[in-house]
Amino acid sequence: MSSDNRSLKQKATVSDSDDPVLQWVTFQLAEETYGINVMQVQEVLRHSEIAPVPGAPDYVLGIINLRGNVVTVIDTRTRFGLPTTEVTDNTRVVIIEAEQQVIGILVDSVAEVVYLRSSEIDSAPNVGTEESARFIQGVSNREGELLILVDLNKLLTDEEWDELSQI
Amino acid sequence: MSFDVDEDILQDFLIEAGEILELLSEQLVELENDPNNRDLLNAIFRGFHTVKGGAGFLSLHALVDTCHGAENVFDTMRNGGRQLSPELMDVILQSLDTINAQFAAVQAREEPEPASPELLQALTILSEPGDHMPGGAAATSAAPEQAPEPEASAPTHISGDGGVDDITEDEFEALLDELQGARKPAAPAPEPTAPAGPAAASSSDEMTDDEFEALLDQLHGGGKPATPAPAAEQAPASEPEQKSASSASGDISDDEFEALLDNLHGKGQFKTESGKAVEPAKPEPAKAKPEPAKPAAAQPAASKPEPAKAAAPVAAKKEAPKPAAPAAETTVRVDTRRLDEIMNMVGELVLVRNRLLLLNSNSEDEDLGKAIANLDVVTGDLQGAVMQTRMQPIKKVFGRFPRVVRDLARSLKKEINLELSGEDTDLDKNLVEALADPLVHLVRNAVDHGVEMPDVREANGKPRLGTVKLSASQEGDHILLAIEDDGAGMDAEKLKSIAIRKGVLDADAAARMSDEEAYNLIFAAGFSTKEQISDVSGRGVGMDVVKTKINQLNGSVRIDSELGRGTRLEIKVPLTLAILPTLMVKVGEQTFALPLATVNEIINMDIKLTNTVDGQLTMIVREKAIPLFYLNQWLNKKPDPNFKRDRGHVVVVTLGTQQVGFVVDALIGQEEVVIKPLDRMLQGTPGMAGATITSDGGIALILDVPSLLKKYAKRYTKR
Repeated sequence: MSSDNRSLKQKATVSDSDDPVLQWVTFQLAEETYGINVMQVQEVLRHSEIAPVPGAPDYVLGIINLRGNVVTVIDTRTRFGLPTTEVTDNTRVVIIEAEQQVIGILVDSVAEVVYLRSSEIDSAPNVGTEESARFIQGVSNREGELLILVDLNKLLTDEEWDELSQI
Repeated sequence: MSFDVDEDILQDFLIEAGEILELLSEQLVELENDPNNRDLLNAIFRGFHTVKGGAGFLSLHALVDTCHGAENVFDTMRNGGRQLSPELMDVILQSLDTINAQFAAVQAREEPEPASPELLQALTILSEPGDHMPGGAAATSAAPEQAPEPEASAPTHISGDGGVDDITEDEFEALLDELQGARKPAAPAPEPTAPAGPAAASSSDEMTDDEFEALLDQLHGGGKPATPAPAAEQAPASEPEQKSASSASGDISDDEFEALLDNLHGKGQFKTESGKAVEPAKPEPAKAKPEPAKPAAAQPAASKPEPAKAAAPVAAKKEAPKPAAPAAETTVRVDTRRLDEIMNMVGELVLVRNRLLLLNSNSEDEDLGKAIANLDVVTGDLQGAVMQTRMQPIKKVFGRFPRVVRDLARSLKKEINLELSGEDTDLDKNLVEALADPLVHLVRNAVDHGVEMPDVREANGKPRLGTVKLSASQEGDHILLAIEDDGAGMDAEKLKSIAIRKGVLDADAAARMSDEEAYNLIFAAGFSTKEQISDVSGRGVGMDVVKTKINQLNGSVRIDSELGRGTRLEIKVPLTLAILPTLMVKVGEQTFALPLATVNEIINMDIKLTNTVDGQLTMIVREKAIPLFYLNQWLNKKPDPNFKRDRGHVVVVTLGTQQVGFVVDALIGQEEVVIKPLDRMLQGTPGMAGATITSDGGIALILDVPSLLKKYAKRYTKR
């Protein structure tokens, strides 16, 4: 995957500066395809044991041991207001960097890396649930399929921080 | 503003001057108790002098002026021109405060404010010898009784003009001051250079002493007399040499010679005992030589080592037993962040070791076992050694108390004697810093609330002078700090009645409360025995902050008090914060770690011994009913279908004076863990102090017992 990444990056750099190509890692969540900026993705892990943290907000699944570091994992389904499902073989934890911290997000599956020109990204129509709409940066229609681009920084907005610090 | 000085030099100055200033406040109060201690006088003089020198080099004129004023006063004092009086002390302490403020400004990279003219004026007046003791008489009378003080001894002046013999040291120095336009009486630079030849003398005339010294300091990596007292011991030994030496060294007064030595040697040398004090003289030639080689030394600096070299060999010759200790610098300054990093890595290593130990216990391989046993020992040693590097004597905190108590006692018009003991007890650097505020608070409380007014004390048949004792000692793997006063003590009944009035406590609970539990009421938030309010303490904040802070350090506080006799507060903290001994337990499927410091005992759960009292499940342990809580009910998100109330173990934890039993499903054992803080997202989750990686590579949450109870056992803690 890493060599793939490199060639992808090269493609990105030769692109037109007026209409830059951005790369997005796509993942599945309740039949919908979402994309997150590849620059914010650190790694993708298989689902392993997640230690729940009593007293934590409900969308926090728990913590995992990532090579000696403690990383918080959030349940993206709960965060987006979707019903939770069973863990399957495809379930992945995507380790991302948002708001200067490293967190893991649990998704149904991770698909691929796609490139989109800025011009291909539309502003968000009213898709998905109200909860998830808050985190949407834009959408892109790709081969007849809708790709929802997530703004990870908004995934935990300042209001959330405040809310959390009040607990 | 920004300084156009080298950041490195500034850093060196800040670190060094900071240490000296800290020491000064301690020494000043000490001096007040022992006004005739000449070593102390000299040490204080040198302290101000060194700070001034550094500040002068960095062109911090405001700082130089204040230091100069204070230094002059002490110069007069050590020459017998003035006696210490409380008023003089006030002015000096005030100037120390000013210097500290100016120093803080420099730390913030701002131009320090000049001292108020009144203060400088006061210092100037005080630096004039007192009327009752004319300068001349002071010098002559000082000579016999101050044998080690060389200024008054004849050889000092022999090589000077004939006229110099007739004037006193003060006048002589004043004259020198005028001559050079320098601001410092004890001027080492021009005198030593004199024998080096007219050329050298003229070159050094263009340079102030401060600059010169600062230059020297720089050359020697900032080695300065941080603990100058032993240096004074050296004086008698080196004096004879000076006398017998050529006229070259005859010119150097002892103090100047010492200053020179101080500069030439790292302060590490001066930490040696007084018995070894002469030792630094030996390495002198070696140290002095490289100096002229350095381009930065320039002409004036090059002329300086000459007399030093001349004097040193003589001193060395006389010295019979040669110390084996190497002359080289033996201390290194290390950034604390680097130490923290190392400590972290050692923590990781400990975890890996734990893991290997666990793996090995299931393995038959003997060689592997031996290797792991070795690793175990080495890791333990390494952990201890690294911890040692982070250790600092508690003196660093204690050092500020003489001043705090003095100021407070003066403003409250109380008479208080502060006794310190165990100042050399070492503890983790972070702990030293974290303990500073709580301790200040408690000491202020002891002075303000504890010790009574002198008249009241007398009426109660106590000596007017109250005593506050502050002690530190190591007890096994923790540190015991005690603050003791012989004041009024606490009235348990009064505390209870206040607590009832404030709604912190109900009458029934109060009646059942033991005295010791009642004393602990002072730690309740918003609790203040209002009658005693003052601008010092009694605002009802603070004590709960103290308690919280100490709990955060995994420590505990105990109060013991006797009405009319005094109060004793004991604080217990672990030696270090980096590694936490815990008891690993299983609750449901999950592993949790309880800080071992709070764990009292472990007993088997026996449902027959439990009773439900007032809706709360309790168990009789050693004839005392303690509340029981099932951690499974608190910490398991999904109710456990296999949950049985009569199974498991009871871990009894102590919380202040209370005991609480936690029922856990299984015990794993004792393990030393490294605390990993939770993410920002999870920080502040009640009951969780952090997480750690267990020896089997899993993850365990570290429980924070007080906040756990606060969150889940609301009803219980409310009482």
